[in-house]
Amino acid sequence: MIRTTRRKGTWLAATVLAVGSLFATSLPAYAETGVTSNEIKLGITLPLTGAASPGYNKIGNAMNAYFKYVNDNGGVYGRKVTLIQKNDEYSPQLSIAKTNELVLKDKVFALVGPLGTANFTSVHKSVGIAKRGIPSLFLNTGFSGFANKKTYPTSFMVLPSYAMEAKIIAQFLKENYAGKKLGIVYQNDEFGIDGMGAFKAAGIKFDVSVAYTSGTQSIPTAQTWVSQLAAGGAQVVVFFGVTSAAAPTLAVSAAAKYAPQWILGSVGADPITLRGLGVPLAVLNGALTLAGNPSPNDTSDEYVKQFREVNTKYNIAGTAFDDYVLQGMNIALMTVQALRAAGPKPTRKGLISAMESKGSSFASVAYSPLGFSKTSNVGHTGYYMAVMDANGDRKPFGGKVSLYTTDSGSGPVVLSTFKRPAMPAKGLPSNS
Amino acid sequence: MRIFKFKRSLTLVAGSALAASLLVAAPTVASAAPACDGKFPVQTCGGATSDGAPYAMMVPANFNGTVYLYSHGYRNDVPLPAALSAATGFPATVTNTPQPGPNATVIAALLAKGYGVVGSGFARQGWNADSAIKTNVELVGVFKKQFTTTTKVIAWGESLGGFITQSLAEKYPDLFSAAAPLCMASDVTPLSTMAGDALWGIKTFFDPTIKGGNYSAGAAGYAEAMGDLGKVFTVIQTLQAAFAANPSTPAWPATSKVPDAIKGIPSRSALVMVALMSGVPMQSAHFDSTSAPAGLPAANALSFQVAINPAFAALENVATAAALGVLVTYDFELQAGGAIFDNSTTDYAARIAEEQYIWASALSGNSGTAGLLSVLAASPRAKAAPAAVEKLKTLGTHTGKVEIPTILFTGVADPVTAAGNQQSVADKYAAYYAEKWEAVKKAKGYKRPANNQLVLWNFPLEKYSKYTAAGAPDTSVPAATGTNHCNFTTSQYMAIADLLAYASTTGKHLSGGPLLTKIRKAGNMTYDRGYSAPKLKYYGE
Repeated sequence: MIRTTRRKGTWLAATVLAVGSLFATSLPAYAETGVTSNEIKLGITLPLTGAASPGYNKIGNAMNAYFKYVNDNGGVYGRKVTLIQKNDEYSPQLSIAKTNELVLKDKVFALVGPLGTANFTSVHKSVGIAKRGIPSLFLNTGFSGFANKKTYPTSFMVLPSYAMEAKIIAQFLKENYAGKKLGIVYQNDEFGIDGMGAFKAAGIKFDVSVAYTSGTQSIPTAQTWVSQLAAGGAQVVVFFGVTSAAAPTLAVSAAAKYAPQWILGSVGADPITLRGLGVPLAVLNGALTLAGNPSPNDTSDEYVKQFREVNTKYNIAGTAFDDYVLQGMNIALMTVQALRAAGPKPTRKGLISAMESKGSSFASVAYSPLGFSKTSNVGHTGYYMAVMDANGDRKPFGGKVSLYTTDSGSGPVVLSTFKRPAMPAKGLPSNS
Repeated sequence: MRIFKFKRSLTLVAGSALAASLLVAAPTVASAAPACDGKFPVQTCGGATSDGAPYAMMVPANFNGTVYLYSHGYRNDVPLPAALSAATGFPATVTNTPQPGPNATVIAALLAKGYGVVGSGFARQGWNADSAIKTNVELVGVFKKQFTTTTKVIAWGESLGGFITQSLAEKYPDLFSAAAPLCMASDVTPLSTMAGDALWGIKTFFDPTIKGGNYSAGAAGYAEAMGDLGKVFTVIQTLQAAFAANPSTPAWPATSKVPDAIKGIPSRSALVMVALMSGVPMQSAHFDSTSAPAGLPAANALSFQVAINPAFAALENVATAAALGVLVTYDFELQAGGAIFDNSTTDYAARIAEEQYIWASALSGNSGTAGLLSVLAASPRAKAAPAAVEKLKTLGTHTGKVEIPTILFTGVADPVTAAGNQQSVADKYAAYYAEKWEAVKKAKGYKRPANNQLVLWNFPLEKYSKYTAAGAPDTSVPAATGTNHCNFTTSQYMAIADLLAYASTTGKHLSGGPLLTKIRKAGNMTYDRGYSAPKLKYYGE
């Protein structure tokens, strides 16, 4: 469309949303959308209610808790950081409407941590994220397609891709379970495409494959999955799906006394959430899982220690500190570094540029390096294998973290020697 | 399993906007001067232009010199059997009754403000852009001659009438002072491709006896087309019953000949595939692809939201697109002299490459998508007659180049003239504007050319699906805003009319706060430079 006025980012982009209200804007004191002299406004869409919400509904509050902590300590160059959460119920169509609200009504500076592959795909296409130049930082999905910088020039991942994860699991299977009957339960969409493609490329052939369509997960459907796995005699089962599907699968297998060696992908393995969804501790005991971060119970870790303090003081009272809270706070920590890197007069272009030039050096709780550069919007790049104990806690497999890194393509899986940057003093970034 | 009893059967949207309401009786023979009734405070005049097209003029006693020339939408150019007429909303007979405005309420409101209104019924129906443009140009002259105080002529129209209006704005800037193509059709080939794809999809998945085009000459061809229309309705009604009986895994119609293995995929997913591959929107009059009935367990609610509700939306919209596909294909073939739909090289997998991730659940996952694509890949394709394709292109296209203020407005989920039609014209104008601005800069000028195009959108609400107390979809409520074809409120029509009047008087669009206030008060009108509607699938997206 054609610009008809003098200034970018003023009332031109104003719109009347479908909800029927007008969001006329005025020229702010600082001429960048979502940034004023004392505030930076950010937005996130995620499922706060509904079947897919368990665990994910804690991420936004965790981010807010960390931002409050930063705000209480001077904010980012004197500006407080505000995060607006929108509940998309995990529905792609609703994600579009909610992101439109964030962009057009709330006029956020950037999106941070938007969750869900189908959700962000639809948002990117229908809201015009790239066309509008809206930074979308730390997408909370591992779909390797988002690494296409040409298609997603303003977006940056945070999780290792599902393909990377599958490659690392594949290597582990070869090294530890050669000759065993292998089974897999996977989500029958881009999540699964990424993973299954990588398993196949790595030469892993599953004896029993169970594909489920997102949205169909329930106890009755899980009963059919477990029946297939048991009937096929799977001795080692990889679960490559979301927590709301992992929980009924594990619960049903416990009830059926079917006890393969479970290997839970990183997405569906938070023990607190699984237990909250009715999974008996006994099933989790001994289950293997991919992890990129330390256990949320590892208080010897400087990041975990700091984040737990923030959680106690700033999060909603009684919020259990789990993988989701840890992930939310870490995204917030990285966001603050990105905002600082964009400088005291942040612009959307400047933020993207800062991500490209400095993003790979950001402090993060994850053990693997970050892949951000001018030609890459890949986030973290590796995982280690962990094992759950009788308390549902997670310990590194073999007693120490052996982190493997790889790419989403044909690159090798290698044992990493990467040294994670230290947590900024008091958990408050001072980078520029 | 939840059993849905629809409160009302799904019907097509054609009736309200495609088939014009009959407003004014007029003579059927051409005459040199209009016959006016001389009534006060509004006199109505009728007559016919030199091509025999009847027209109607309505002019208030306090006529302020500005007249709105309205172009109506597509009307069937062949009679329809009564049952198909009732199902489609198109009249059973071909009608050329003149229509001087969108509806009686809007006409009355314009007359009350001192404006005149005029409209033709056009000499022929079906796709009639070329002849309608000539008719309208002549009609403007007749009106001015009759009402000599006329100072401004504003063109507006809907659907095919939007196409005609845009053409008038492009070709006759001296005749018109402002124009508003509403829910417009743009170029013929992309438009007919969308309808053709929807029809071919229904044929391929659900009833291969549908001919789908390349109709025979004469009466035999007419019988084939009407037969297709009936079969499309049978398929849709069968699917509707199957959806209602078992929304999770609705049965396939008995007429379907897809392999048994494919029938393991719910038929609802095939319908979603038809919508996606043809570019039919995934929000419909009553289904928002987002909500679920209250009271469902959380897991079932999510499934309804992401898998079942979208299938219902596809059902409503594909029904309309496929039925229109029959009518326009038959019409275009008659005009072009042969088969016009060609998907012999269409890569449907590429077409849905991105959307398959968005609608993964509705498509029954990756394996469901792959299975459905395999059917499309293995099915016989339609081949057009090259000469007919070339002829079709001459039936209408837009340059996007306008030198008078024009306002585009459409529903984002219009299933007939998809929003990509409007986007196409907006994109063409943007390119033209960029050219003009470059020329200015090359001449060392600094003043930007005037922006003659104002693009407005009507977005559906986030959630609008209604359910009965029993949890069944309620399709008896009015179509949601932003959905259906040319589904505008009187307030929206009048906002457009007011914006046109302003532009007509000043030569430029209302802008800034006053523009936003205007559209806010009208409701559900969005001005957003950053928004781009999905392009029509013909263009490769």
